[in-house]
Amino acid sequence: MFAIQVTALLLVSGSLAGMFAFTPVYEDVRSGIVLVLCLSCLKLEPKTIANFTFETVDNQPHPEFVLENLSKGPVFLHYSGDSCAGCDVMYPVIKDLFSVDFGKQDMFHTLATFENSTVAYIYVNIHHTIDQLRNAQPLYDKDHVGGIPMFTVISLGYDHGDVKPKYTTVYGTLAVYGCETDAERLAYLTQLMEESIQMYNENSAGYPHH
Amino acid sequence: MKLQIKRLISQIILLFSANLGYPGYPGLKTGFCYPFFYCQACPAATSACPLRSLEQSVDKGSFTWRLFLYPLLIIGFLGVLTGRAVCSWACPIGLLQRGTGRIARKFKKFPIARKLGKHKAEKYFRYTKYFLLISLVFVTSYLIGFIFTDICPVGLLTGTIPVLILNPGKFIPNYFFPVALVIFILFIVLIFLIERGWCRYFCPVGALLGPFNKISFLHIAVNTKDCTNCNVCSYNCPMGIDVPNMHRDPECILCGKCVTACPKHQITFERR
Repeated sequence: MFAIQVTALLLVSGSLAGMFAFTPVYEDVRSGIVLVLCLSCLKLEPKTIANFTFETVDNQPHPEFVLENLSKGPVFLHYSGDSCAGCDVMYPVIKDLFSVDFGKQDMFHTLATFENSTVAYIYVNIHHTIDQLRNAQPLYDKDHVGGIPMFTVISLGYDHGDVKPKYTTVYGTLAVYGCETDAERLAYLTQLMEESIQMYNENSAGYPHH
Repeated sequence: MKLQIKRLISQIILLFSANLGYPGYPGLKTGFCYPFFYCQACPAATSACPLRSLEQSVDKGSFTWRLFLYPLLIIGFLGVLTGRAVCSWACPIGLLQRGTGRIARKFKKFPIARKLGKHKAEKYFRYTKYFLLISLVFVTSYLIGFIFTDICPVGLLTGTIPVLILNPGKFIPNYFFPVALVIFILFIVLIFLIERGWCRYFCPVGALLGPFNKISFLHIAVNTKDCTNCNVCSYNCPMGIDVPNMHRDPECILCGKCVTACPKHQITFERR
């Protein structure tokens, strides 16, 4: 028995040490499970208002990839994840919204045409992405929900003489906004996109990156 | 110091250790998995639920070996050393059941409870936790994406309820909430009716830890030669084990109640 015990202990502790040393599993669990919650797992949806704001969380600067894409049109950041029922509900709705197709575990970025305007659509599966995209998620988590699915629409606004990125973020399956069906979710997001495109068109001429 | 006091202190310290993640106080968010049942959705959680990592590893037909192996190795490491002692010395849900156990022990005296407890089907019902682990954590997650943690009563207790209390009016229940609430009520009824009812029949983390009792360094041994079969140990066992006849039972949580209760001191903790 002692030999079995020692073998098992060496095997388990060696494998565990190897995982810590040679794989990013610690960071995967931290950034993909502990820091970003699945709202379905929480069994709750946040009551938030989809108002546009200039202020990012802790007034951090917008990431370069957002500023670059903003020169082409409004940016739609779609944060999703694995084993997330809410993400599964929203995934086909967003594909319909921008008429795009991609795998749920892909990294996907396209310049989509939305009602004759260009929109930079960026899909981020929090469990299969790069740090640059993952790290932008808390920046736009304006209501400090810390959960997925999360959708951020970044457009342009006029603020004290400057044209700056202005964004809003909505969460979950949009039940808080009265959306119970896919059609209602699509209609709500369409309206949000129309609003952001209108803001973009009004201000894009003054955008320094344009 | 008495063994059961030591165990209580251990449970309280580990409850605090599991809750060092509240933003700013001190906001310790790690990449470890708990070796017991606790939810990462708790606002103060420091680590991830092992079941969440396992579910995510097999999400809808995919397989991420790292997320699969990682919680198993963490649980395996402690399992090889101490068997299922984590359930009674560390798990916050174990601490909760310790609190409800006093009431559950009163029910144990009812004739119907005795009859049900001794029913031959009872020991087979204990396999429910293994069934839950395989079916709701792995199979449904792999095949249809339905995951245990969406309806988990422990998640509702340690994640949802604290979030609702700390953020009044900021959240509304989603479509999983009513189902999870019903399961949660059943969970509460269960732990008041049956001592360690959750650990005995339903805990999937207990199902992961249980088999390690067979090879763990730490285990409980009974000197059957000098045992008088008074059965005080079995009566005191919160897991309802027939202690004199057990040998490295996967159900034993090494709480030591039998060790304390044995009038002849024939039950001991062994390190090999």
